[in-house]
Amino acid sequence: MRKSGPWLWASALVAYAFLYVPLAIVVVYSFNDSRLNAEWVGFTLDWYRKLAGDGAMIAAAGNSLVIGISASVVSTVLGTMAGVAMHRYRLRVLPLLILAPIAIPEILTGVSLLIFFVMLNVTLGLVSVAIAHITFCIGFVAIVVRARLAGMDETLTEAARDCGASPWNAFRYVTLPLITPGVIAGALMAFTLSIDDFVITFFTAGAGTITLPLQIYSMIKISVTPEVNAVSTLLMLLTLVLIVTAARISPTLLRSTQESTS
Amino acid sequence: MVSGPPLAFLLVFFAAPTLIMVLASFRSPGEFGGLAPLVDASGRIDLNVDGYARLVTEPVFAQVFVKSAGYAALTTLVCLLLAYPLATLIARSAKKHRDLLLLLVILPFWSNFLIRIYAWMIILGPNAALARLVNRALAAFGADPVPLLFSAFAVLVCLVYVSLPFMVLPLYANLEKHDRTLLDAAQDLGANAWQRFWRITFPLSLPGVYAGAALVFIPALGVFAIPDILGGPDDTLIGNLIKQQFLETRDWPFGSVLSIVLTAAALALAGGAAWVARRSGGASRA
Amino acid sequence: MNGKTFALLVAASFALAAPAYAKDELHLYNWNNYIAPETIKRFEDTCHCEVIQTYYSDNDELLAKVAAGAKGYDVMVPTSNAVQTLIRGGQLMAIDKTAIPNLKNIDPAYLNTAFDPGNRYSVPYAMSTTIIGYNDVKMKELGLPTDTWAVIFDPKYLVKVKGRVTVLDSANELFAAALKYLGYSANDVDPKHWNEAAAVIRKAKPYWAAFNASSYIKELTVGNIWLVHGYSNDIFQANQDAEAAHRPFHILQGMPKEGAVLAVDNMVIQKGAPRPDLALKFINFVLVGRNSADLTNLIGSGNPNLDAMKYIKPEILKLPAVFPPKDIQAKLEQLKDLTVAQRRLRNKLWTEIKAAK
Repeated sequence: MRKSGPWLWASALVAYAFLYVPLAIVVVYSFNDSRLNAEWVGFTLDWYRKLAGDGAMIAAAGNSLVIGISASVVSTVLGTMAGVAMHRYRLRVLPLLILAPIAIPEILTGVSLLIFFVMLNVTLGLVSVAIAHITFCIGFVAIVVRARLAGMDETLTEAARDCGASPWNAFRYVTLPLITPGVIAGALMAFTLSIDDFVITFFTAGAGTITLPLQIYSMIKISVTPEVNAVSTLLMLLTLVLIVTAARISPTLLRSTQESTS
Repeated sequence: MVSGPPLAFLLVFFAAPTLIMVLASFRSPGEFGGLAPLVDASGRIDLNVDGYARLVTEPVFAQVFVKSAGYAALTTLVCLLLAYPLATLIARSAKKHRDLLLLLVILPFWSNFLIRIYAWMIILGPNAALARLVNRALAAFGADPVPLLFSAFAVLVCLVYVSLPFMVLPLYANLEKHDRTLLDAAQDLGANAWQRFWRITFPLSLPGVYAGAALVFIPALGVFAIPDILGGPDDTLIGNLIKQQFLETRDWPFGSVLSIVLTAAALALAGGAAWVARRSGGASRA
Repeated sequence: MNGKTFALLVAASFALAAPAYAKDELHLYNWNNYIAPETIKRFEDTCHCEVIQTYYSDNDELLAKVAAGAKGYDVMVPTSNAVQTLIRGGQLMAIDKTAIPNLKNIDPAYLNTAFDPGNRYSVPYAMSTTIIGYNDVKMKELGLPTDTWAVIFDPKYLVKVKGRVTVLDSANELFAAALKYLGYSANDVDPKHWNEAAAVIRKAKPYWAAFNASSYIKELTVGNIWLVHGYSNDIFQANQDAEAAHRPFHILQGMPKEGAVLAVDNMVIQKGAPRPDLALKFINFVLVGRNSADLTNLIGSGNPNLDAMKYIKPEILKLPAVFPPKDIQAKLEQLKDLTVAQRRLRNKLWTEIKAAK
């Protein structure tokens, strides 16, 4: 590990501060004794109490988590495959299909998917939302994985093949551990995109499906009360706990991150 | 073949629905919203290029495109400047800290988007500390007070804020792989810190830079929620115009036209950047 | 655990879950906070069913989703011009009047409109007006009038509140206000008049802080914004919030003398609704005066239900923007839907306004 100069530390700290000052406001204001999210009035735990009794909000948060996890898992798998394929072969169609969902305005994707689902007589619900999320998340994962592969030493994989490893084994035991940081980065991005998506979810959700962003955005005109801050804070903590636990349970994941750089 | 499953998924759930809307860009709007029937009352197929023609005859759309590209480019640049040191620090830290530091970068983004924007409205509000500081400084120079909220500044700050992790993560994924010994060798040969960065680290990190730039610039082109909530009266971007077509004006064909042109422009820019990268990247590959 | 135990557990969990699926459900697609929680609870108790609510924050969102083919909603609550669009698009189920005897509670002035002659598809629910909202202390300090659209459009007034005014981010609402200010009807479709209205808006734009339909209540209550073009319900809410926060000012509703837009929201049943029987029960329930008054008491919305008047708080009944007197009622207009060509022209003007520097 190299020693990092003071300039590096200073600019990195500025970046972290930039990220965390608004977040601090979000968390602190969840204890704000005022219906508005506009200025500090006083301390209260009321909003957390209200949240505990708000079945609709909790159900919405639960739906968002479920969709987020499933969408990020599937899109990470598919996106990694796409990233590897794009790096290895000179493809024409796939790169376009990968980048286009990122470029196309969400409203168009949302409306077109709704029309498509209706045409196929698909019942709208959690699954339709998850499929929609996977569609736009694949690209993010693929791009990150490909960027990671671009900096990778191909000779290692070639050496493995020369030693008699099958393509799948060469991928599993050589390539995959080397690209794991990219895969993890992609998965984190996919999850983040999914739990916060509004536009596409609005159009592809069914009559009884409500996710957290749908719930919150509908409050935008009346007032986004600190109850939303409370649920956001809790969701953040819950997600952090889930990920740390998952990392503890599957130490192989972390180990490959560490080993690949030794 | 490894490209099979993602290709199949995207063909079905992305290409097919999108083609429906591409076709829609050549149709007429339905009287009550949505699309007019493909085959009209007299039995003729109703396709036209009215929407595309409008882009040529009404220059205001091109102006808004350019403005949106400007905002997106500025956002990408600022993100790069902020993200690079952060990604470098994380990539260089001890293995046991790396994942935690990465999680800390992305943690704020698991709170709801709207709530984070509202937090910025509090920070940038006219009575908040920051605005008062800035305006007092301006007053010292004799200039008029300037609003921080409901302005281009607010839009840009928020754009950078929501895009930052999408620049940090790809950069980190790339930087993490860099071989330290190259830098050690360069130092031994007498290169100073700046030279080591500019001649070795930065060129090697270009794939990560391009990936991050793509993941920031392209979505930023189509953003509408941020200008809607805290933009000024002049901060209308192409994303807002597209949203209007689908909602208030109920002119889906024109909304599709704008979307397709936006997407084509974004893809062309990305393709152009990739071409430039291939041309220059080959030479600097260590 | 072995296979048999596992299968038993699965079967048991399905058995436990089964009653949940047999429950009666009513799918209500509504604006958020546009029905009092007490009303929902009371209905659920009477019908032994569950009301599942999903939300939209704009008529246009509802129309876009329905136009793309979304199904599964029982009751929806569009505004009159959206009702007109939905009827013309064949998206609504005709309402069986025999199932809703409480319809007699509605003020006849709001029935049988041009939007839905004979009320075949819709039943009036609640109303709001689009007016001026203001910080009373600031307006008095600056000596500005609060009963005319001029305070939003005329630079000689605007210069005193530069950067402290917001207007709605809606072409239809803003054009309507500008047309009223110029003395025309809000539903005027003469392109010449539209150009005049666009010119008025462009002249005033540099003084406005933002086009904002979402956070202006908050900004009014906090005191960052002093004057808004907004909905009467929102402004009522802002005042309640200001009082709760012990602000040194009030947020008041200003009804412009030139007139304003009236929005009547209606209950409709989507064609192909899963439970039209429950939908009719719900509509009939909400038409009971006491239930209808819940919403008005909660958010200060206007109420077309005569039977509800005796349950509404007296201070709300006194508000002219919520229950306008006869002379003001004459100047209120409901917005009519536009044709494709008109919508395109309006969008062209609106885009030019928004993109102009």
